[in-house]
Amino acid sequence: MDIGAIGVYLSLFLALYFEVFLLISFFEKKPGIKTAARPARYPEVAVLVPCWNKAPTLGPTIESLLALDYPKEKLSIVIIDDGSTDNTYEEALHFTHHPQVTVFQKQNEGSKYSALNFGLARTQGELVGCLDADSFVAPDALLEIVKHFETDAETMAVAPAMKVNRPRNVLELMQAVEYTFGIFYKKMFDNLGAISVLPGPFSFYRRSLFDRIGGFRKAYHTEDMEMAFRMQSHGLKIANVHTALVYTNVPSSLGALVRQRTRWSRGFLENSRDYKHMYFNPKYGNFGLLVLPFGLSAFILALYVAGFTLYNAASLVLNKIFDLYATGVPLHMPASYQIEWFYINTDMMLFVTTAVMLFTLVAIAIGSRIAGTRLGLKHFASYFMLFGLVAPLWLARATWDTLLSRERGWLV
Amino acid sequence: MNPKYFYALIITAAIFATAFYVASRFNQSRIADIRATEEAISIDILSLETQFELLGNLDCQAITDNPVLSDELNSLASRLSVAEQNLGANNAEVISLKKQYSLLEIKDYILMREISQKCIKLKPVYILYFYSNSGDCADCNKMGDVLTYLRATYPGLRVYSFDYHLDLSALRTLVTLRKIDANKGLPAFVVNNKAPVYGFKTLQEMRKLIPELKTLATSTPATQ
Repeated sequence: MDIGAIGVYLSLFLALYFEVFLLISFFEKKPGIKTAARPARYPEVAVLVPCWNKAPTLGPTIESLLALDYPKEKLSIVIIDDGSTDNTYEEALHFTHHPQVTVFQKQNEGSKYSALNFGLARTQGELVGCLDADSFVAPDALLEIVKHFETDAETMAVAPAMKVNRPRNVLELMQAVEYTFGIFYKKMFDNLGAISVLPGPFSFYRRSLFDRIGGFRKAYHTEDMEMAFRMQSHGLKIANVHTALVYTNVPSSLGALVRQRTRWSRGFLENSRDYKHMYFNPKYGNFGLLVLPFGLSAFILALYVAGFTLYNAASLVLNKIFDLYATGVPLHMPASYQIEWFYINTDMMLFVTTAVMLFTLVAIAIGSRIAGTRLGLKHFASYFMLFGLVAPLWLARATWDTLLSRERGWLV
Repeated sequence: MNPKYFYALIITAAIFATAFYVASRFNQSRIADIRATEEAISIDILSLETQFELLGNLDCQAITDNPVLSDELNSLASRLSVAEQNLGANNAEVISLKKQYSLLEIKDYILMREISQKCIKLKPVYILYFYSNSGDCADCNKMGDVLTYLRATYPGLRVYSFDYHLDLSALRTLVTLRKIDANKGLPAFVVNNKAPVYGFKTLQEMRKLIPELKTLATSTPATQ
């Protein structure tokens, strides 16, 4: 076996191990189903909506918040226009006639964390959430979150289940499958006590959390990830409320997608460095022993597999072109043999790859069931044909940026 | 430590072991397939030899119309190549199959020469091709592409390919008889009874070297 293939087998082994581990966790503790129960008490809740140039989507975002099934006097919506250059502020002012809505305008400081801290300092809610201005919440999402805080006093922050809002083109369809897979593994991370990110769309915090560990940090433009890392390092519990559904707009062009994911991937690398003391440290439980090491390994091995595949494909094509030129043999060979099983690839790698894909499909199916997502053939075709091709782009770019310590700003 | 880490490891290892087992079974089936083909060819050659000895005077037309052995040997060569890729050139079973294949090729070559002497109208075109995959023949892959193309274009062309370094006494005898000298550089080949030719030749050069190709029927219209 050639040395290059050993790296691919190692990648497949780790991917399979990770999926098997998560599936064991699933069968150990299956996600509960949504109930019609109401919370015993309705705490004061503040939702921060930081926005920068989000005029087209801000309206529907705020309307979805106003439609939340929650006592109006207990819910305040804080829109923070973070120095937009479009008419986001004017759009926000359309909602000021709602007593729940407050609008602020501040100068942009280059990253979202400052807008969140700005809002945090101007609200009183017992629970504080945030919602990106391109995401929309299900009417009962807040009730589900409040119920969880009520039933589990140890939980200091919760993340919702995120779905892609009306995916249309192939990139959005691909991300719809990816987010559905994410619903599964985030729930399993919850089972393991190892959630690694509190995403911008509708994550919630107890206010007391900020008194204990401070507010948001710039953290390489991934303040949501850094907050989760910091909470894990303090042994503070994060939960995933899979019954709280949030719909988010995702990048529809390759450029925007690569920019967004480069920021996320870079954030992971940089935050991993800042919290390196947690790696393989049993003190931090499954977060230190599984999620962080596997995340970093997956990052490195995905780049390796992409490089290996690209190298082999390029070698094959170039050699073929060279051989055709050197031999004078036409590209089209006369058909000489029938297609027989003998010539079908039955390499071990094929079977292992099939196993990894099957486990991925099972995980996606579970995620789909948890969140009630309907996925069709075109979703799966987009995911399985595209993701492996585009993901290396942002992984490579994030690695490059990290190595060069290049500052790219918020980007999207 | 959480026992889940251990259980996941066991299950993952079991899946890998299963994949290894299934792949091995497929490879064993391939080996069995090649061996069965070799046995079938061996019987065909023996049958032809016996027929040849019994009749003394052959039905030349029947042989001209029935190039079965050539097809079977081509198919066998292709299968051996796949097995070599999957199991490696140094695999003992692959080497054993290659030896048997080389013997069959030599027997077929001898038989065809004898038949062509008896059947004046039968003018077989054959190439004895000597290659190496021991790292001392950079052009062997390219030469293989040219010969594969020729063989596919002219089903009547018999290409007998031999791994020059195969440890087989009959092959060594053939090498000596045809005066093949690896020091002059592989690949080397002999067209019909002509002197050995050394080094890589393009498709166009091969067509010039083998004008007899024009006498052979093509599977598809010749492109050049």
